[in-house]
Amino acid sequence: MKPTLEIPPLPSSQSSVDVAAPVRPEVHRKPVVSNFRSLTLHRWCVWVSAFLVFAMLALMVCLRYGTQVIELPRIFNILVQAMTAVSQGGSGEDPTHVILLQVRLPRLLLAFLVGASLAAVGVSLQALLRNPLADPFVLGISSGAALGAAIALLFGVGVSMWSLSALPMCAFLGAIISLLIIYRIAATQYGFSIYTLLLAGVVLSAVLMALITFLTSVADPNRVFGMLAWLMGSLTGPDYPTLGILAVYLGIGLLILGSQAQSLNVLTLGEEAARSLGVEVERVKKLVFFATALVTGAVVAFSGLIGFVGLIVPHAVRLALGADHRLLLPIAGLTGGIFLMVADTVARTLFSPAEIPVGVVTAIVGGPVFLYLLMNRRAQVVT
Amino acid sequence: MKLENSRTPPALSVRGMTYRYRSRFAKNSEAVLTDVNCSIDAGSILGILGPNGSGKSTLLKLLAGVFSIQEGRLEFYGQDMQRLSQAAIAKAVAFVPQETQQIFPFTIGEMVLMGRYPHHTGLGGWHWEDFEDLVIAERAMQDLDVAHLADRLITDVSGGERQRAIIARALAQDPKVLLLDEPTAFLDLHHQLDIARILRRLNQERGLTVILVSHDLNLASQYCDRLLLLDHGHIVHTGTPEEVIRPDVLEQVYGCAVLVDRHPQSGMPRVSLPV
Repeated sequence: MKPTLEIPPLPSSQSSVDVAAPVRPEVHRKPVVSNFRSLTLHRWCVWVSAFLVFAMLALMVCLRYGTQVIELPRIFNILVQAMTAVSQGGSGEDPTHVILLQVRLPRLLLAFLVGASLAAVGVSLQALLRNPLADPFVLGISSGAALGAAIALLFGVGVSMWSLSALPMCAFLGAIISLLIIYRIAATQYGFSIYTLLLAGVVLSAVLMALITFLTSVADPNRVFGMLAWLMGSLTGPDYPTLGILAVYLGIGLLILGSQAQSLNVLTLGEEAARSLGVEVERVKKLVFFATALVTGAVVAFSGLIGFVGLIVPHAVRLALGADHRLLLPIAGLTGGIFLMVADTVARTLFSPAEIPVGVVTAIVGGPVFLYLLMNRRAQVVT
Repeated sequence: MKLENSRTPPALSVRGMTYRYRSRFAKNSEAVLTDVNCSIDAGSILGILGPNGSGKSTLLKLLAGVFSIQEGRLEFYGQDMQRLSQAAIAKAVAFVPQETQQIFPFTIGEMVLMGRYPHHTGLGGWHWEDFEDLVIAERAMQDLDVAHLADRLITDVSGGERQRAIIARALAQDPKVLLLDEPTAFLDLHHQLDIARILRRLNQERGLTVILVSHDLNLASQYCDRLLLLDHGHIVHTGTPEEVIRPDVLEQVYGCAVLVDRHPQSGMPRVSLPV
């Protein structure tokens, strides 16, 4: 049928047979216009700066509320004063000052960091496992980190001046071990089974929580009380040096995740397809696992178990802005930060002066979203 | 399938390729491919045929660089493929898997642009698409007739449109060789014909070397220059469709008697099952 074998580079040969007539007549071939949606630097900058502004606004609004409402102009005044005071080396001692700068601001900054990290980790895990239901909390990675942190706390690994680095290290180890267990269980030759992944996560989580409960029941009661509050997810009382250390851990992890954004895009096609597109899959996986465990470990060490942020936020952002991870990661991060600041403000003020742990708020909001996604998924008949 | 007197090296050449799946549980698994030797001429369309489990897809994935070579040697235009990086292979060889499931809401345009990944090997492949990327992606989409769907979500289009978008993604890699694993498996008659014609046209207009795995003997007979018949990991026959699509050959490999006559239009061999 084909007369000769030709070898590229070829002039476009006219020796075609009838059967191979072009499907599209030449008339339809428009000159190339390239006007379809793609992520340009411009579009990226617009969205990221818009969400940075949202985050600042949300911070201001959240600073306003508490047991005592501080009006916005006053907040501005205090913030400006504080900034100049820092450069001059002194600070005011008026109670509103103290509430705003020593209580509310660090707490909200912690909420922002934690929310942003959880959302970014959720996005990355979802891409890597090709599963929109993946989340460090659901998969038991947070529980692993919590067990690591609990061991560190109860056995006093972190009492020395190294406390600040030992605690997140143990949490990191716990997180990475449970991540590897989960991955090992769920990965088959044909990809991941969504239900295996979720079931394994639930069971692993239950086992780890049982171990934590075991530890708390045999440990010194004085230490246990604070630990229980921490386990439920609490953002109380960070000081600025602590925040700084946390920011370093999270910064490293988030930069690694961000640098892999394009690889994560391609990985959503499946590992084999990604490999055929030139992604060094094993390397990307290792980097993402490391960063995920680092971030989850640090977050859990500093704020306990806060669930579902990594699940709701990425889903919402994907609906609005699409799935490109170069945009999704930073926007989900900012949105996650905003979400947790608001959730924490609600937790502080709803039954003021009593406080609900913020993990309770996110679980109450996030659990139903998770179930809704699970139902939707079943309708799509994807194994 | 050697072509004597060939002036340029073959697009791909496979020497002594043996492959076994390594399982966590079984130490010595049976080889999926045993000592496979073949070379694929540049600018041809090759069909890889064979019964289920004969190693067709495995061979294709080895050619694509998806599986790493265990024993044997694979050359791309005379270069040792094992020395090339994953990205360097991806610039020359594109692979279309049997089935691509995309659960995230990417647009078809974004999916096709992913084909540009191997051309930007920076930090984790991080880059902004430049004008060249957009032009190549647009051209690929026009070739596959999905340009009008560029802003539609891949999760929302029909199976035929999705498959065309995936092939467009492979074309955006700007490859010399296009590998397809059962490109028409889940498509209806109309879309099967569509894909086959598009592949033939790309082969002729761009000189693209096309290698496809197929269960559809008749489609392969119509559209392939050469066929390669695998059975239990061994190559049992290679040659033109006339040489391979023969009742005795097929009966030996597939284990059932078949009737072979001529296609009324093209005169190529046509397979029918006996009543």
